[in-house]
Amino acid sequence: MRPMIRRVVSIFGQASVVVVTLAMLAPVFYMIMMSFRTSAEIAEEPLAMPQALYLGNYANALENMNYWQGVLNSLGITLTVTVLVALLGSMAAYPLARRTNRFTRGVILIVALGLATPPFVTITPIYVIFRNLGLLDSYPGIVIAFTALNLPLAVFFYTSFISAIPKELEEAARLDNCGDWQVYWYIVRPLLGPATATLSLFVTLMVWNDFTYPLLLLSSPEKFTVMISVYRFVGNLNIQPDMLFPAAVLGSAPLLVLFMIFQRRIVSGVTAGAVK
Amino acid sequence: MPEAWGRVLQPIRIYLFTVPALLVIGAFFVYPILLSVNLSFTNFTGVGVANYIGWANYERFLSRSRYLNSVGVTIKFTFLVVVFQTLIGLVFAALLHRMPAIRNFCRAVLFTPAMMSFVIVGYVWQFIYAPYTGGLNAFLSAIGLESLARGWLGDPSTALFAIAATHVWMFVGYTTAIFLVGFANIPSDIEEAGRLDGASSWQRFRYLELPLLAPSFTVNIILSTVGTLKTFELPFIMTRGGPDRATNTLSLEIVNNLFGSYKFGFASALSIVMLLIVVAVAIVQNIYLKRREDNQ
Amino acid sequence: MKSLKIGLAGAVLTATLCGTAYADKIVLDVTAWKGNEAEPAGLPELIEKFEAENPEIDVEFSYISRLDTDVVLPPRLQGNNAPDVMMTDMPLVKIWSEAGLLADLGKDSPWYGNIEPALQPSVTAGEAVYIMPLEVIGMGNFVNLSLLKQAGVEDIPTTLDGLKDACGKLADAGIKPLVFTGSFSAPLFVIANGIERAEGQAAPYGSPDKTFAGDAAFGSVLDTVRELIDARCLDPKGQAGLDPWSTALTAFKSGDFAMMPQGAWNIADFSSVADLDFAFAPIPSGKDTGVALDLFGIGWSVSANSQHQEAARKFVSFFSEEENLQIMLDAESAYSPFVGGQSGTSDVTKPYDASRAEGGVIMYPFAVLDWPKPLEKEIWDSLTGFLLNTDRSNDEVLERWDEAVEDS
Repeated sequence: MRPMIRRVVSIFGQASVVVVTLAMLAPVFYMIMMSFRTSAEIAEEPLAMPQALYLGNYANALENMNYWQGVLNSLGITLTVTVLVALLGSMAAYPLARRTNRFTRGVILIVALGLATPPFVTITPIYVIFRNLGLLDSYPGIVIAFTALNLPLAVFFYTSFISAIPKELEEAARLDNCGDWQVYWYIVRPLLGPATATLSLFVTLMVWNDFTYPLLLLSSPEKFTVMISVYRFVGNLNIQPDMLFPAAVLGSAPLLVLFMIFQRRIVSGVTAGAVK
Repeated sequence: MPEAWGRVLQPIRIYLFTVPALLVIGAFFVYPILLSVNLSFTNFTGVGVANYIGWANYERFLSRSRYLNSVGVTIKFTFLVVVFQTLIGLVFAALLHRMPAIRNFCRAVLFTPAMMSFVIVGYVWQFIYAPYTGGLNAFLSAIGLESLARGWLGDPSTALFAIAATHVWMFVGYTTAIFLVGFANIPSDIEEAGRLDGASSWQRFRYLELPLLAPSFTVNIILSTVGTLKTFELPFIMTRGGPDRATNTLSLEIVNNLFGSYKFGFASALSIVMLLIVVAVAIVQNIYLKRREDNQ
Repeated sequence: MKSLKIGLAGAVLTATLCGTAYADKIVLDVTAWKGNEAEPAGLPELIEKFEAENPEIDVEFSYISRLDTDVVLPPRLQGNNAPDVMMTDMPLVKIWSEAGLLADLGKDSPWYGNIEPALQPSVTAGEAVYIMPLEVIGMGNFVNLSLLKQAGVEDIPTTLDGLKDACGKLADAGIKPLVFTGSFSAPLFVIANGIERAEGQAAPYGSPDKTFAGDAAFGSVLDTVRELIDARCLDPKGQAGLDPWSTALTAFKSGDFAMMPQGAWNIADFSSVADLDFAFAPIPSGKDTGVALDLFGIGWSVSANSQHQEAARKFVSFFSEEENLQIMLDAESAYSPFVGGQSGTSDVTKPYDASRAEGGVIMYPFAVLDWPKPLEKEIWDSLTGFLLNTDRSNDEVLERWDEAVEDS
C-alpha cells in the first residue's frame, strides 16, 4: 500500500512540476500564435487564437529580412567565437584556479572589471581601435569583438569549474615530468567538456542576441547577424505586431534548434562526470 | 641556452597562460575604461573637442537627486532579480534532481526563454503587460481576479517588479542548469549515506546538498548580480525608464545621456560611478561567498 | 608589332569595359530613419528615380532608426567613415555641425531661397546651411469618427470647452475618450497650449531668461489638465505610464479610445485598418482654431568628409524638386517646407489643414532648437509623475523642466 501511495504522489508531483514548467512557455506560445494573425485580426481582438494559419506575415518578413544570410552569419560567428573563447578562457583560468597570490588576484580583478563593464561604455574607443586596425565591417572584426565580450565570463566560469576538479591527477602527471602546458592540454582541458558545453550556451546566446556591437561594427547588410536583420526589420518606434511577431519567431527559431543540440551535449557531459 | 631560459621561466611559466586573455581584455576593457575616466572630466559631446571641466560631472551626479535615485532603482532591481532567480532556480533544480524522468525535458523548457534576445522578450512582454489589450489582464479576468488587473508597466508600484519578473523568467533556466550541474557533482555515495541514515528528502537537501552546492551559489549569484546591474535592455524597451523614472536604472541613465543627449563626458562619469559600484559589489560578494565555501 | 597592337586593343577594350562598370560609377552611401517598411516615405521609389536620372551614381541606401542614429553615426563621423548623405534633424545638426562634421550646403543652393520664411532662420547657422529640410509634419489630435458619432458628438472638438463636452458624452456612452500618455501625448497637449498661452514665444524658456516654474502660461495648462480629468476625459493613473509608441497606437487602432494626440506619420498605418474611420485634427486649445503643432522633423545633410560632394549635393537637390518631394509628402501626409509647395495631405487631414490655414500653427520647440533636447524627456517624465499624482503643485512639476534646461 505505502509504495503505491508514494508512487501516486510522485507521479502527481512530477506532473505538477511539468505543468508549472510548461506554463513558463505561455509567452512563447503567445508570440507564436500572434505571428499567424493579420494586423486587422489583432487590432480587432488582441488575444484570440488565429482564425486560420495565415502565412502572409512570414512571407513578408522572409522577403524583407535577408533572413537566411543572417542565420549563416550568426552561426559562423558563434562557432568561431565559442572555440576562441573556450581556448583563451580555460587557459587563463587554469593558473587562476590553481594558484592564489598577488598576481592571480590582480588578474581576477582585471577580469572582473571586464565582466562589470557595461558594453556601451567602451563603444566609442573600440570603434576607433577597429578603424585603425581596418577591422570595421569585417567578419574577423566582429569575431574579435565578441570574443573579447565573452572572455571575462569564460575566465570566471572556468576558474570556478577547475577549482572543483581534484588536483591529484595533475600532481601525478607532474611527477611524470609533464610541463604546465602538457598538464593543461592533456589533463585539465579534456575534463572541461561539461563546462565548455554550458559556456558555449552563454556564448551562443550573447553572440546571437546582442545587437549593439554588430549594429555598430557591421554596415553592409550581407554581413548582418540575424538579430540585426530582425531589429532593422521591426524598427524601434511604432511597433507593428504583424511585423514584430513573425520576425521574433524567425529570430528565435534557429537558436532553439541549436539549443537542442547543445542541450544533449551538456546532458552527456554531466552524466559522464557523474559516472566517474 | 633554451634550457637556462626554461629554468628561469619555470616558476612563472604557468602564469603565461593568462597572457592572451589579458591582452584581449586589456585592449577591449582596460584601455577604453582609462579613456572613459579621462572623458569623465570633460564636457565631450561624442564628436569634436573635449574640454576639461574638472569634477563638475561628478558634482552634478551628487547634487541632483535623480541620479542617486537611479542608483537606488538599480540596487532594488538587482536585489529582486538575484534573490528570486536564485531561489526559484534552486527549487526547480532540487525538484528536478529528484525527478530524473522529467529532468532533461523540464530543464530544456525552463531554458527556452533565455534563448531569446532582450529585444524580442521586451516587446513580447510589453504586449503581455499592456493595460487594455494585454494577455496578463485578460488571463486575470478569465480566472476571476479582474480586480488585480492594471497597467502593469504604467503603475510605478508594479513596473519594476514586472520588469524584474520578465528578467527572472528569462534567466531562471540558467540558474537551474547551473544548480543541476552542482547537484550532479555531489558524490553519489554521500547522498546514498544520507538515504541509508533515513534522512528525509528535505533533510538531505538542507544538510547534505545545500552546503555542497556552495560553488554553484557563487557562480549563480555573481553572474546574475553583475549581469543584472549592467542590464539596460528590458527597461529601455519596456518602459524607457518610466513611469516617472520608477524603472530608470543607472545603466539606462547612462544610455540616455550618451545617445539621447550626447553628454558623453557626463555619461562617462556615470559609467565610472557604475563601474565602481559593480566592482565593489562583485568583490564583496566574491570574498563573502568564497569564505562561505571554505567554511563548509 | 602585331602583338603590341593586340595588347593595345586589349587594354583599350578592358578600359572601356571596366571604365563604365567601375571607374565612373559613384557609390553614394545614404542613411535615413525613413525608408523601411513601416515608414517608407517614398524613399525606395525616389532613389530608383534618382538613379535612373543619374546613371553615373549608384545609391547605397541603409535604414538606421532615429534612436540608432545616435549610436551608429557619431563614431562613423569621427572615424572618417561617415555616409555621404544622412537624414538629420536640428538637434543632430547642431552637435555635428559645431564639431565640423557636416558640409555647408551654402546659402546659394537653389532651394535655400524657397524655404518657408518661418523655417529659414531655424535651418540657418550664421552664414552656413547644414540641412536641407524635407518636410514639416503635423502633430495633432487623431479622432475616431465612428465613436464620436456613436456618442452623439457632432463636431470634432478643437476648443477646450468642446473637448470637455465631447468627453462627457463619450464617457456617458461608455467610450474611453482620450489617449493621454504621460510620454508624448500629454506633453503635446501641454506644450501646444502652454506656448499658445505664452503668445507663441517659446524660445525664452529655453534660455536662462525665463523659467517655467512660477510661469502663468504653463502653470495654468496643468490646471487645464486637472479640468480634463474632472470632465472624465481620461483616467490619469491608467494613462500615465501607457507606451505611446506601441500600446497606445494599438489601442487606438482597435477602437478602444475616441481621441489621441499623436503625429501624422501614423496616418498611413491607421489607414490600413479597414474599419477605422478617423480624422487628423488640431490639438484642442483656447482658440477656435486649435493648435496645429508642426514638427520640422527631417532633412538631408552631407558629411564634410564625403568624397563625393557633388553627387551628394545632386542627391539632396533632387529632393527639393517639387515633383519628387511630392512623392515623399504623399507617403508621409506631410507639408512641404518650401514656399508655395504642395502638401501630401488628404481628406483625413482636413481639420488639421484648416487649423494651419487659419493661423493655428506652432512650431514644435525642440525641432527648431528653441528648447534643448534633454528637456523633452524631462517633460515626459514629469508629466507622467504629475498624472500619477495630480495633487502635486504646478511648480513642483515645472521646476524639473528648469533643471533640465539648466543642465543642458
